[in-house]
Amino acid sequence: MRAATTGSGAAGKAADTPVGKPAATGVGGRAGRLLGAVFAALVGLFLMAPVLVTIASSLTTTSYVTFPPKGLTLHWYAELLNRPEFLDSFLISIGVAAGAAVVSTALGLAAGLAIHRYPFPGKSVLDRLFSSAFAVPTIVLGIGLLQWYAQLGMASSPLTLLLAHLVLTVPYTVRLVLAGLAGLDRSAELAAAGLGATAPRVFWHVTLPAVRGPMVAGAFFALITSFDDLTIALFVVTTDMQTLPVRIFNYLQYNYDPTVTAVGTVMVFFAAVVVVVIERVVGVAHLFGADPER
Amino acid sequence: MAATARVARGPALTPGGSAPAPPATGPVKRRGPWRTGLLLASPAIAVLALLFVAPLFMLVYNSFRTQAGDPTLDNYTRFLGDSFYRGVLWHTLWIGALTTLGCLVVGYPFAVYLRGRSPRARNYLSLVLLSPLLISMVTRAYGWLVLLGPKGPVADAFHAVGLDAPKMLYNDTAVVVGMVHVMLAYMVLPLMGSLDRIDPALTPAAKGLGAGGWTCFWRITVPLSLPGMLAGSLIVFSLTVSSFVTPAILGGPTVKLMPYFVYTEATSNLNWPYAAAIGFVLIVVTTVLTAGYARLLRGRGGKEVFA
Repeated sequence: MRAATTGSGAAGKAADTPVGKPAATGVGGRAGRLLGAVFAALVGLFLMAPVLVTIASSLTTTSYVTFPPKGLTLHWYAELLNRPEFLDSFLISIGVAAGAAVVSTALGLAAGLAIHRYPFPGKSVLDRLFSSAFAVPTIVLGIGLLQWYAQLGMASSPLTLLLAHLVLTVPYTVRLVLAGLAGLDRSAELAAAGLGATAPRVFWHVTLPAVRGPMVAGAFFALITSFDDLTIALFVVTTDMQTLPVRIFNYLQYNYDPTVTAVGTVMVFFAAVVVVVIERVVGVAHLFGADPER
Repeated sequence: MAATARVARGPALTPGGSAPAPPATGPVKRRGPWRTGLLLASPAIAVLALLFVAPLFMLVYNSFRTQAGDPTLDNYTRFLGDSFYRGVLWHTLWIGALTTLGCLVVGYPFAVYLRGRSPRARNYLSLVLLSPLLISMVTRAYGWLVLLGPKGPVADAFHAVGLDAPKMLYNDTAVVVGMVHVMLAYMVLPLMGSLDRIDPALTPAAKGLGAGGWTCFWRITVPLSLPGMLAGSLIVFSLTVSSFVTPAILGGPTVKLMPYFVYTEATSNLNWPYAAAIGFVLIVVTTVLTAGYARLLRGRGGKEVFA
């Protein structure tokens, strides 16, 4: 290691490096920073490439998917409109996702409040269950649910799919609400109550604003998780009720035409809108937490 | 019921009903929190009990049954006694390890680079890092199908420099590339957290004592970011071995991984008990591995990550 001491260009000598930010990790200097920037750009390209390729190749005039696209046309989007099954699937997906978002936000708020401030039996078990729900492979959950629904005699419907998705989304909304409540100073609530505000008023004007951001983020996260879910849906849906990811997955087994890239592009734009909203409201990084605890 | 009053500690605020009760108020109000808590949590408890715990019990129960419903251990002996299926398990763990390594190799320099940037630049780069997570899995996998395909841009790049493009689709390469793409954020975020906790005065101090840039990097940054590295690896590994979508699309039937077998046994062969057994083996193996790994971590500075 010693031999590499004078490694990255000018960074070798202590006197060259001003005390401050750039040298914080040890590797600095102009050459080092340029190298870092090039690397970061490559990582960015790696991250964006599949999406960019999907969007670009949806515009090709060829009847097979190719990149770069040959010619420019919106034909495949028009083709999409001629395929009612994709539209049906989109409607099922969006309906289930919206339902999952609303229900898991409400459940998350209630459970978050309960865990944060009320003692009740089974609280620690509940807390632990919420964290273990993250860890169970969705494929295993999918087959478990399939067998359980069969046992109960519940036929597959948008409702059973929505219920299945709650297992994926409620742990997130609970965790987000808990994070919001942790940042709330209880004395603000006590002060409001002390000044004569009724409990509902305190809740509406003090408690709720503290968790509003996390709740909106949780709702959108639930929306996109449910909308995007393939693994659980594969087990729960039937041939006449397919969500969009299932429809695409099945279509991909036999076809390789740009219709799928057109659908994909529509989904990308849908996700982009959601990402922008989340970023505006709370910041995307908060969704995942800089310190994922499992 | 009188005992429940003791559970309530101090004033509590009930959103639906009673005002924050000063300690002097009667026993009726002091019993409130206990009930309110249960009432508020009950929908979530119902969801977890009916849609998480019960299905998993069902799964474990069925895994010890024949298709006719008689008790049996056959599903497990069949899986563990067959070298083909044991191979599937090893291959799954191998892909998990490769993906973890790939995420470290790509993610570590990226996290180090992010550390030195302005908050604004960090924000944009984090957004780039995280946005793929919110974009449809199927769409992303499809993008890789195009990119890595025999007529795709990566193959074109090989041809441009006069090389034969290797086969990049429906094999381990495709699965690992796709998985690194999916998992990168889960590696970089704990790394960033870990790097941020390093005292910024350490590097100038070491430099003042005569250490060079690389010495500082290897002897300060790397060891102190170890908790983040280990936590990230744990998350990436356990998520990778249980993912289905990306391996199914990019690996196809030729890359045989555990989740894919759960799926085919359940939906094509309609052998639910066997699918359940494979799924349960997957859970047990990953739980044992990750628990052992987390235990290992506690002894080496992993505490702050798992505390």
